[in-house]
Amino acid sequence: MATAALEIEGLRKSFGGVLAVNGVSLRLEPGRIYGLIGPNGSGKTTLFNCITGLERRDEGRVFFNGQPIDGLKPYQIARQGIGRTFQVIRVFPELTALENLLVVTQGDRAAAMERALELLRFVKLEGLKGEFAGNLSYGQQKLVEFVRMLMRDPSLILLDEPAAGVNRTLLNDLLDAVRRLRDQGKTVLLVEHDMKVVMGLCETVFVLDHGEKIAEGSPGAIQMDERVIEAYFGR
Amino acid sequence: MTRAFLGALGVALAALALYPFFGTGYGVRATLQIFMWIALAGSWNLISGLTGYVSFGHVAFFGAGAYAGAILVAKVGWSWPAASLVGGVAACVLALVIGYPCLRLKGPYFAIAMLGLNEVLRALVSYFEGLTGGGSGLSLPTLDATIPIYYVMGVLAAAVTLLTYLIITSRFGLRLMTIREDEVAAEALGIDTARHKLYAFLLSAAGPGIAGALTARDQGYIEPISVFPLAMTITMIVMVLFGGKGTVWGPVLGAVVLFVSQEFVWARFPYLHQLLFGAIIVAVVLLMPRGVLGILQMKYRLPRTI
Amino acid sequence: MNVVITPVMIGQVIISGILVGTLYSMVALGLALIFGVMRVINVAHGPLLMLGAYATYFLYSAFGLNPYLTVPITMLLLFVVGVVLQRTLVFRVVGAPELASLLLTFGISIALVNLAQLAFTSDLRAVEYLTGSYIVGPFAFSKSRLIAFVFAAAVSGLAFLFLQRTKLGKAIRATSQSREVAMVCGIDVDRIHLFTFGLATALAAAGGALIAVIVAIQPEMGGVWTFKSFLVIVLGGAGNYPGALLGGMLLGLVEQLASLFLTTQLSEVVAYLLLVLVLLVRPTGLFGGRQT
Repeated sequence: MATAALEIEGLRKSFGGVLAVNGVSLRLEPGRIYGLIGPNGSGKTTLFNCITGLERRDEGRVFFNGQPIDGLKPYQIARQGIGRTFQVIRVFPELTALENLLVVTQGDRAAAMERALELLRFVKLEGLKGEFAGNLSYGQQKLVEFVRMLMRDPSLILLDEPAAGVNRTLLNDLLDAVRRLRDQGKTVLLVEHDMKVVMGLCETVFVLDHGEKIAEGSPGAIQMDERVIEAYFGR
Repeated sequence: MTRAFLGALGVALAALALYPFFGTGYGVRATLQIFMWIALAGSWNLISGLTGYVSFGHVAFFGAGAYAGAILVAKVGWSWPAASLVGGVAACVLALVIGYPCLRLKGPYFAIAMLGLNEVLRALVSYFEGLTGGGSGLSLPTLDATIPIYYVMGVLAAAVTLLTYLIITSRFGLRLMTIREDEVAAEALGIDTARHKLYAFLLSAAGPGIAGALTARDQGYIEPISVFPLAMTITMIVMVLFGGKGTVWGPVLGAVVLFVSQEFVWARFPYLHQLLFGAIIVAVVLLMPRGVLGILQMKYRLPRTI
Repeated sequence: MNVVITPVMIGQVIISGILVGTLYSMVALGLALIFGVMRVINVAHGPLLMLGAYATYFLYSAFGLNPYLTVPITMLLLFVVGVVLQRTLVFRVVGAPELASLLLTFGISIALVNLAQLAFTSDLRAVEYLTGSYIVGPFAFSKSRLIAFVFAAAVSGLAFLFLQRTKLGKAIRATSQSREVAMVCGIDVDRIHLFTFGLATALAAAGGALIAVIVAIQPEMGGVWTFKSFLVIVLGGAGNYPGALLGGMLLGLVEQLASLFLTTQLSEVVAYLLLVLVLLVRPTGLFGGRQT
């Protein structure tokens, strides 16, 4: 078997006695789009935080392209090539849209500028490059956050609810962008509540409930899975 | 616009350089004080204005530099320019030792740790009497060096301001601002926030360290309460807040306006001095937290380099 | 410096530590309430304690009141002062970045100290009411400190019962858990803030009143109390009110113990190292606390 883009083994994380993630194992193959779904509080964002180093896991291992990354600091993990967005938008409000992207890079300034402008053009925000990010609309901020994450050209992309609060047109652009990234060989894992998005975009879906993985499979199979239906609609 | 500004700046600098030749003794001393406040306020702006980590004991670096410089001059017989440089180095070493653990503290906890640091240094210099003269202070050999110190302090103020300009216009400076704006997001983007904070902290300690050593030489006598006063930290903070934090010229504007008003207005009410100072702090915090230049910057969409 | 430590000395240290620690607990509980409920670090807490000390001094010297009888009067007076400060100034920085509340309360603090200097001069003043010690076996109990301990324990106990049992007390604790949830539950958060600041100031004032009988007072006596109180709430864990009480005891014991070996100046250094160490290793306090 080829090296997985991301492999998680028995990840466990609790907050003061409450188990948020309870022994989850996942394997992501490179160049595919994966979905991570589950009811509120099922541990999706905590799992993201454990992968990116923002939370320290209690047990378990995380491998990125075959190399262990658990225990690394968040910035080290990001530099290895894992990019993420947040559920609540986290742009730098008092930096301009362009500066939000520029800060990510070090070294050659001209090249950084070129790449930042190219990415802003990619999401049609070039005209707003000098505007403070905090003054942009919600959807525009979401796009800035999305392309900012791409500045480092990550090979694994974690998206936390990309569709939330975004209008249809913008959403379609965003989803197209995600597909194009996949076509470039990047791996995508997204947390999403909008089932239409998950079913239309993801090739494999993982389902979490109470911190445990209860199902894994194609979108079609997941919709039929009894444990999933039970988790969502109660018994 | 830029050329006009640079021209005006050049004229102002030339006037300040010539001032000792025609100014009064009082005027030179007062301008020297303004230079010192520009250096202090500008330095505080580097760590707190940019990264948002509130150094609530920044005068600790001033005091550390003052004692390092004074001991070298009084006990070892160094010349004051060399001693002043070592004062800056001593402050940076202190910043390294303190910053490494304390910059991990968030929000109010960092502020309180810095406040405590200042109290502790004051206690320590009082304790090591052999070296520092303890509570009764340390006298330096008599020397009238006010005019050379005027120039050195002036260069220091200009250097801190120039450094601020260079940082703010660089990606390093932008990264420092991401720490203020959202430290978690900055980390997740691959920015080594711990290292950035430490660099900013070191840069912000050097100026006060040198200024402390120069002030010790100029005044010829220091004691723990004169170089570690909490009020001095607060004064630099209020100067930066008044002028506009995170800008290049905000600390300069704040230092000039506050110092001049202190000299001319508050000095008339010696008994109410502290009360008025308290009222000004309250007024700045409540009425203009963004500061003069911050408000102008927002309103007229000016760059941060104002 | 060679000191022979005897068991009696250790016993004396523990007794003195608990006596003074109870005072720390009571004063720090006030600061902890303000920090817990409003996320405001009140630098003026110590200067408000100083005002309490002067209130007692004048009630004693001008009206001849028994200084211990002044404790409730002083608390009530300073409760009003606290409410006025909150109503006019402090409420504006609730929820603002910490720099705003630090500076604002520092501004209030130096204004209070300056006012005290103008009104009372910087002369040392003392309430000479109760001097000497009770001797029990090999141990000595300073009379004024012992009575201060009893008062502080009683006041803290009452404050604690109030927080645990009464509706208003529960509302205060709810607000310090989550401002939003408290609002949704129909709690008038602004009124809670007002009352909290008043209560906290009254606790500081009680400390001032009791201290006035123990040591001489002067306008600048408060600063060190702000710092010690903050140390106590760091030890106890921010937002953890029982923790503040234990933290006060611990600080009292550590200080007394350090004084056996070190000068006062160096014991301040020990206190600071303790502060930084606890912040780094257990940012939620030694006795557990809410995550911030």
